[in-house]
Amino acid sequence: MVVAGVDIGSATGKAVIMIDGRIVGTSVLVSTAHPAKTAEIVMGQALEQAGLSSVDQLKHVVCTGYGRLNIPYAKENLSEISCHAKGAHWMVPSVRTVIDVGGQDCKVISLSPKGTVLEFKMNDRCAAGTGRFFEAMARALCCGLEGLSDPANQGDNPCAISNQCSVFAESEVVTLVNEGIELENIISGINVSVASRLTSMSRRVGIINDVVLTGGCSKNQGLIMALETKIKTKLIALPHDPQIAGALGAAIFAAERLEAETGNKCP
Amino acid sequence: METGIRSAAFQTFIEATSGIMNSELQAWKDGGGKVMGFFCTTVPEELFTAAGLAGFRMRGTGSTSTELSDACFSAINCSYPRHTMNQALEGHYDFLDGLVCINSCDHVRRVYDNWIRKLGTPFVKVMSLPRKVGQPQIDWYFDEINKLRKDIEAHFSVEITDESLRQAIRLHNEIRALQKQVYQFRLPDAPLMTGEETLAVMVAGTAIPKPRYKVLLEEFLKDMQSHKETHKGHRARVMIIGGELDDTEFIRVIEEQGALVVTDSTCYGSRLMWRPVDESYDDPVKAMANYYIYDRPSCPRMYGDQPRRIAYTRELAKEFRVDGVIGERLMFCDQWLVEHYMTNDDLKEDGIPFLAIDREYLLSGKGQLRTRVQAFLETIEGLRSEQS
Repeated sequence: MVVAGVDIGSATGKAVIMIDGRIVGTSVLVSTAHPAKTAEIVMGQALEQAGLSSVDQLKHVVCTGYGRLNIPYAKENLSEISCHAKGAHWMVPSVRTVIDVGGQDCKVISLSPKGTVLEFKMNDRCAAGTGRFFEAMARALCCGLEGLSDPANQGDNPCAISNQCSVFAESEVVTLVNEGIELENIISGINVSVASRLTSMSRRVGIINDVVLTGGCSKNQGLIMALETKIKTKLIALPHDPQIAGALGAAIFAAERLEAETGNKCP
Repeated sequence: METGIRSAAFQTFIEATSGIMNSELQAWKDGGGKVMGFFCTTVPEELFTAAGLAGFRMRGTGSTSTELSDACFSAINCSYPRHTMNQALEGHYDFLDGLVCINSCDHVRRVYDNWIRKLGTPFVKVMSLPRKVGQPQIDWYFDEINKLRKDIEAHFSVEITDESLRQAIRLHNEIRALQKQVYQFRLPDAPLMTGEETLAVMVAGTAIPKPRYKVLLEEFLKDMQSHKETHKGHRARVMIIGGELDDTEFIRVIEEQGALVVTDSTCYGSRLMWRPVDESYDDPVKAMANYYIYDRPSCPRMYGDQPRRIAYTRELAKEFRVDGVIGERLMFCDQWLVEHYMTNDDLKEDGIPFLAIDREYLLSGKGQLRTRVQAFLETIEGLRSEQS
C-alpha cells in the first residue's frame, strides 16, 4: 500500500512516501513562488528516493500546509494542525503536547492519549516567533541560522528582546550590536524571546508530558535549550526529521483513508 | 452573496448590507427624511425613531484603505473606526443629518474628536456610557438619554413625547421579535438559512429606516414559508461570539470550510434583539436606561458582567446545539482580548471546543483564517470520533 503526504509550507516543501507503514522516501526543499511547482519537485525527489517513478503509483495522497489547496495529485487536504499531531504521535506515541515552529506560524497542539487533537493555539497573524523571525535575526547578526542554533553560541546572560514584532525586533538587535553587547548574549536573547512566546501559548492549552518540537525551527538547538528551561521539561527527541512531521502525518492520514476505502489494514 | 432564498425583501437586505447608502435609505432621504448616524449597540436608537429620524449604525463597508483617516489615527488603533472614518472623509457619510458617538471603546470615542474637527455634520453629540451595570449606572444613563433627547428636540425642532417614545420602543421590540423568528430557522438539524444570510438580515436592520425594515422583515418571513431548501451535510454547527462583525464574507469563509454558523453573540447578531425593552415602565426613558445598561446581553466593555455573558453564551449554545464556538476579535480591541481567554476556559468545562480568531475589519489573511477554521473543524470531528 503506497501512500504519500506532502506539506507545502511558506518556507519549505516536504514530502513523505510510505509503503505498508514504513517511510521509504522523504524530501525537503525551499518553497518556490508556486505551490504546485514546489509540490511537483519535492514529490519527484521523494519518489526517486523510494524507487518509484510516478505519482500515479501512489494509491492515496494527502496534502497540508499553506499551499495545500493547489496540489494536483492530492486527493484530500487537511490542516497542518491535524497532520503535525498525527505525525508526532506516530513517531512518539506518548506525546501529549506538540509545539510546531514553522516558517510563518507557530502552534501548540494538545493531544489525547490516543493522539486526537484536543485543542490548539496558533500565533497571531504576524511573523513573531516563527522561522521568518529567526531569518531576520540571523540577517541582522550576519551569523546564519546555524549561528543562532549552535549551543556554543548561547550566552549566559541573554539580552531582553522586548519587541514581539520581527521588524522592530531586528532594529532592537541592531541597536544591541551597536552598543557592543556580546553576540552570544544577543543570540541567546533571541532564542529566549521566542521560547518565552511559545511558553505563553503552551500554557494556554496546558503543558502535558511528553512534549515534542516539530517544524523547521526544531533544528535550532539554542531554541530547544531555551524552551526546555522555560517550560521546565525535557523535549522528547523525534526518531525522524522533525521538519517532516506534517508531511508524515499527511501520509499516515492517506494510509488511514485508503484502509477505510479498501478495508485492507495497514501493518 | 450566493443564496437560494427567493425573496425580493432579502435582496434588499443584501443590498443594504453590501454598502453604506442603500435604496431604502435613499428613498427616505428623497422624501425629506433625516438620518442620524450612531456608533455601538448601546446608543438608544428608539430615541431617533421617536424623533422621526432614521437611525443608521456606522460601518466602514466598502472602504479599501485608511489613508485619509490614518492622518488622525494611529496604526495601532482598531481598523473599524479607521475604515469608518475614512469612508466619512471620502464623503460617503455626507448624507447624515446628525451623528451620535459614544465611549463604547477608546478607539470609537476618538472618532468623535476627529469628526467635529474634520467634518461638517450639523449635529454631533457624544454620549457617556458607564462601565458598570448597577443602579447608579442606570441612573447615570437615564440622565444621558434625557440630555440627548433635549438636544435632538432643540436641533431638529421636534418634540419627543413619552407617547412617541413608547411607540418607538414598541416598534423596535416588534422588530426584535421578528428577527428572533429569523433565528428560529437555524434551530433544525438542516437549517433554512446560513449564518452569512442571517447576518445580512441583521445588518440591513441597522441601515434601513425602521418602519420600512419591519415591513420588509414581515415580507421576508412570509417568503420563507415557501422556502424549502435546507442546509445539510455541514461538518459542525458553530456559534460566533465577538463584537463589531458586519462582514458577511467573514462568515462565508468559515462556512466554506464546512461549518454552519447557527447562532451568535455579536453586536450585529443576537445581542441586538434577544431580549426586548421592558414596556411596563411608566417612564420610557427609564425603560431604555435599564435595557441598555442591564437587561440586554452585555459585551465585555461592561465591568464585572462576565458571568452573565458566559451564561448567555451557554444558553444559546445549548438551544442551538452547537458543536463549537468561534470567538472573533478585531486586532487591537482591548474589550474582547481577555474575554476570549475566559470564554475558552469556561467552555472547556462544558466540553465545547473554542477557537479564537483575530481579524482586521477588512477581511484579509483568508488563507490563515481557512487554516484555523479547517483545523478547528477537524478537531471537532476528531473529538466526536474518539468519543464514539
